Amino acid sequence: MATETTQNGNDPKTLLDVRGLVKYFPIKRGFFRRTVGTVKAVDDVSFDINAGETLSLVGESGCGKSTTARSIIRAYEPTAGEILFRTEDGESIDLAQLSLTEMRPFRRQMQMIFQDPFSSLNPRMNIYEIISEPLLVHGIGTSDEREDRVAELLRLVRLRPEYMRRYPHAFSGGQRQRIGIARALALNPRLILADEPVSGLDVSVQAQVINLMMDLQDTLGLTYLFVSHDLSVVKQISNRVVVMYVGRIAEIGTPQELFDSPKHPYTSALMSSVPKPHPSQRSKRYVLEGEVANPANPPTGCYFHPRCPFATDQCKVEVPPLVKSKDGRYVSCHRADEIELTVN
Amino acid sequence: MTTETATDQTTEQPRGLDADPVISVRDLETHFFTDEGVVRAVDGVNFDVHPGTTMGIVGESGCGKSITAKSILQIVEAPGRIVNGEIQYRRQSGEAVNLLDYPANSGRMRAIRGGEISMIFQEPMTSFSSLHTFGNQIDEALKLHTNLSKDERFELAVDWLARVGIPNPSQRMHEYPFRFSGGQLQRAMIAMAMCTNPKVLIADEPTTALDVTTQAQILDLLQRMQEENDMAIVFITHDLGVIAEIADEVTVMYLGKVVESGPVNDFFDAPLHPYSRALLTSIPSMFTGSRERLPSISGSIPHPQNRPSGCAFHPRCQSFINGVCDIREPNLVSVNEEQDVSCFLYED
Repeated sequence: MATETTQNGNDPKTLLDVRGLVKYFPIKRGFFRRTVGTVKAVDDVSFDINAGETLSLVGESGCGKSTTARSIIRAYEPTAGEILFRTEDGESIDLAQLSLTEMRPFRRQMQMIFQDPFSSLNPRMNIYEIISEPLLVHGIGTSDEREDRVAELLRLVRLRPEYMRRYPHAFSGGQRQRIGIARALALNPRLILADEPVSGLDVSVQAQVINLMMDLQDTLGLTYLFVSHDLSVVKQISNRVVVMYVGRIAEIGTPQELFDSPKHPYTSALMSSVPKPHPSQRSKRYVLEGEVANPANPPTGCYFHPRCPFATDQCKVEVPPLVKSKDGRYVSCHRADEIELTVN
Repeated sequence: MTTETATDQTTEQPRGLDADPVISVRDLETHFFTDEGVVRAVDGVNFDVHPGTTMGIVGESGCGKSITAKSILQIVEAPGRIVNGEIQYRRQSGEAVNLLDYPANSGRMRAIRGGEISMIFQEPMTSFSSLHTFGNQIDEALKLHTNLSKDERFELAVDWLARVGIPNPSQRMHEYPFRFSGGQLQRAMIAMAMCTNPKVLIADEPTTALDVTTQAQILDLLQRMQEENDMAIVFITHDLGVIAEIADEVTVMYLGKVVESGPVNDFFDAPLHPYSRALLTSIPSMFTGSRERLPSISGSIPHPQNRPSGCAFHPRCQSFINGVCDIREPNLVSVNEEQDVSCFLYED
């Protein structure tokens, strides 16, 4: 467990407060499907999201960022930890403790947007059926009211309401992603979990969807948990960023803090790996050697130590807790206060 | 552990841009004859690749960049067919040949494909056969393109695996591809492409499926290989950041046509075509402020079957001239000594 986390648990601004979230997947082998090990996909992750902000989870593939988001919405059953969600009356409810029936009213308040706009829309349903399905499932409105709502949602995501009887194949990738956003908004959610929402789109279309998401946030007061491996997109959209490495949090900070003055050696390596936007900035490239640790068989101590240029003997045995550093940042590194890091 | 590697291309003149091109593509047209009609996937493409330099081909899905690359090696799948054009290639011996004079499955084309001109693909996971050991697959390339004995081939393959940074190379030769991670497979594919000592390497989105840290490793590796072997690289990508990192020259494609080409610095400092300019400003970057709205390009890429009339970009273009852009097709013309653009803003 982290000794000190980012939380100020009673702050009414906090919409979601994740404490010590753990998700292990069993590895099963053989005829009797015996459990022979565990994949520690998410291993003691704590962070909070304020109402109206965008918090991003970033990291390389396999770092547990999607699993974290899916555990919050209980698409996966968390192995341990608390998921404190603030209701509209200001009460704090631990979602991890709820049964699936008890979870239903909270599902309305949290919706997901998926990565692939081609496989996340049912090709046999028209746009009206796709967007009104959440309303139908939750028994909201009459058929006429639902149609009005769908038209309103389509206008909100800048699609023409006349298109609602068309099928997904008639739309481009960017338009389909906007249909996915309209579906997520149908129930007036307070929290949107967006898992790589622009990664499947052409670069000339990404900006449209990012701008739309930021506009909707302003007009509807939405809160986003944004999962992405694309650091440029994350910088564009986030208020705060959680950097994950092999199921654990390396560092939390604003995009500017992480980019200008990273505290964790992994953050610094990650930021340095991003291609520079102009050929004149080609300089020394900082190349992180080796491979991401295997979450089924992670190294001892700090998971990053085999790749870390600053690792000491302490790093090899002791897991660094996520603590507040001298200048108020959250970082899990034994040497955070001693080492000077830059992004080059 | 980490290393720091200098990529000091900005200080010295990129090598070989003044040298005679090793590959000249002229008026290349590759069409797909589908049941719904003919798709002009590559529709009159021209560019030169100079020895020891990197030509970046930029474009989004459907722009024909991958088909252009496959056309060079004549590995376009049916119903696609190269219907017109020339691909002039200067061989190791100095002899200049038009690759399109050789039938796709002729001995001469096979000797070049994978030997003098190699290719690496986007998806390392699906580019290897899962039924053969990695060693068998690299050996196949060496058997075809070298006269070495079995032991020599094994040694050379192990040597290349070590050079691309795969640990325990001699043991890994006997393993199947599923034992490799994505980054390792991509490096193994580079080893396989490089072991025949090619003059030209065609890299089709080689880092798109990889994480940024692995991408940095692969770009670094490709640049080192290029310096050691004085090899030309044709680098295909939609990522302008990657272009800024490694290209010497840039060719921008949109719906099967070249819209702009020129040296990389000119492209980033003074892009000419409205599409290039819009791309450069609409892409989020680590170096712009956060929480700002981006200028976005309206609309989306048309389906290649519904190609707009005139200039294919005109429905999305900010500088659209009514009665011109939607009727006539612009030609690729030289604007100055280095830059070519296909847009009516630059035609008299």
